[in-house]
Amino acid sequence: MNKRYKSGLFNSLNPTRYNLERWSYTLHRITGVILALFLIAHIFEIYHVTLGIAGWNQTMEELSNLGVIELIGMWIIAGSALYHGANGLRLILNEVFGLLLGKPRLPEYPYSPLSLGRNQKIAIYTITLIVVALWIWAGLYLLAGLGIVRW
Amino acid sequence: MTRVRILRNDGSKQWWQEYDVEPRKGSTVLDLLLNIRETHDHTLAFRHSCQMGSCGSCGMVINGKPSLACQTRIADLKSEPLFNDTIRIEPLYSYPVIKDLVVDLDDFVNKHKSIKPYIIRKNPEELEEAPMEFRVTPAENLNFIQFDYCIMCGLCVAACPTVSLDPQFTGPQALAQAYRYIADPRDEGFNERQSILDTSHGVWRCHFAGSCSYVCPKGVDPAKAIQLLKREILKRKFVRGKAGASVAVVVQPEKSISNAPKAPPLDFKMEADQHE
Amino acid sequence: MLLMYALGLIMIFVLTFHLLLVSPLTGRTFAEALSYNYVLHNLTYFQVIFGILLYAATIHGLNGLRIVLIEWLHPGKYQWIINAIIIVLMAMLLALGTYTLIAL
Repeated sequence: MNKRYKSGLFNSLNPTRYNLERWSYTLHRITGVILALFLIAHIFEIYHVTLGIAGWNQTMEELSNLGVIELIGMWIIAGSALYHGANGLRLILNEVFGLLLGKPRLPEYPYSPLSLGRNQKIAIYTITLIVVALWIWAGLYLLAGLGIVRW
Repeated sequence: MTRVRILRNDGSKQWWQEYDVEPRKGSTVLDLLLNIRETHDHTLAFRHSCQMGSCGSCGMVINGKPSLACQTRIADLKSEPLFNDTIRIEPLYSYPVIKDLVVDLDDFVNKHKSIKPYIIRKNPEELEEAPMEFRVTPAENLNFIQFDYCIMCGLCVAACPTVSLDPQFTGPQALAQAYRYIADPRDEGFNERQSILDTSHGVWRCHFAGSCSYVCPKGVDPAKAIQLLKREILKRKFVRGKAGASVAVVVQPEKSISNAPKAPPLDFKMEADQHE
Repeated sequence: MLLMYALGLIMIFVLTFHLLLVSPLTGRTFAEALSYNYVLHNLTYFQVIFGILLYAATIHGLNGLRIVLIEWLHPGKYQWIINAIIIVLMAMLLALGTYTLIAL
């Protein structure tokens, strides 16, 4: 058989049974695609400012017809931006500066890999906590716009 | 009794086949497979050799994770959460299958060869005229000795998400070995390897998912090697003046320190691929 | 040679600035932050910063989209089609954004 066994999109994005960094790779990809699509929509939206105050208000009316879906969408995008930026910063530290990868040493049993060591995992968990905290705060801010929560 | 489900493949069709075996205390998955082959079904095909995690032949996917069959104990599998008394065995992901659990390693070996896994020196006659040994201090040794422990089992390539998407990607094993030679102070061959490494299908396809290091049975940590390789490539491109810093200079003393007669000069050309 | 690193670093700063502008720390409530006057004030007052944000974000984002499309679709020898689509999209977005910034 010439085909490679079980290669392809689903297998590459599937982080179950693997390590924590694999989860962060999958999330980084997905948030990146979400943000890229949002960026295209956002540039089109802001363009309408040039149509004067009437055109702008009309655009806002059309968008707010979506109601709750729009707010949930913006909340997801806020979380994506926070996660993608924070994880991207960690990736820059790893790949350009070689930080958080562990000092070189002789492998000894049980051969746990250094690049997934304590410092790296601490960094990932810290990033996740900060991102989740800021995300909840962003959610409250958006809900305040609905009038549900007083700011 | 433990149930073992193996993905069989005879070249034209594939099917899951189940066997019931009784594991003994301290059994590994390889023991179960040998038991199956001896008592239940002699047509089962799989590779194995040393039975102690040193040759790298018995790589297969056990319960969704690529691992060596001789190093995976049944007791460890049973103590994992979500274990439902069935051991699922498949051939390694992202390799063409020859029969049952035997996969085709040609592509893997070719990618390893393409990054020139040997020390490259600029002067081929240096070996004959070397005044003293090529020294590596213990501190310099630590920089790359970890990546030298690779047994070429192929598990990292099976676990990598980029390999499963891109057949031209060099692969974590080859890139880690490339770094092992680049970080070696005796090697002067960075420029020859750069045309394979610094491409869009080379080092830059790695996005640090880290699964290669997670499944490596010897702790080689190819993910770390690739990130350090990226740092090295960027350093040599953008930071001038530091390019030769990681290459140690062979110290040339003023006179020869041995009393042995000098060898006659070479009169044939040495080629890099002479061993092919 | 990933200029994604450099653009990403730039964007962390500039995007934080943009988000702070529309957040309650320096802005007002959600409805006021989207009002015409506030948006116009921001775009004219901080034109250069928004220009940097536009270019960095578009190039970083669309280059990332290009990498993801190449990995997920395996074009092989038709890779130039994906490159061309992305470059056209990038040019359109940059033209639209630059016009928005300049025409105010």
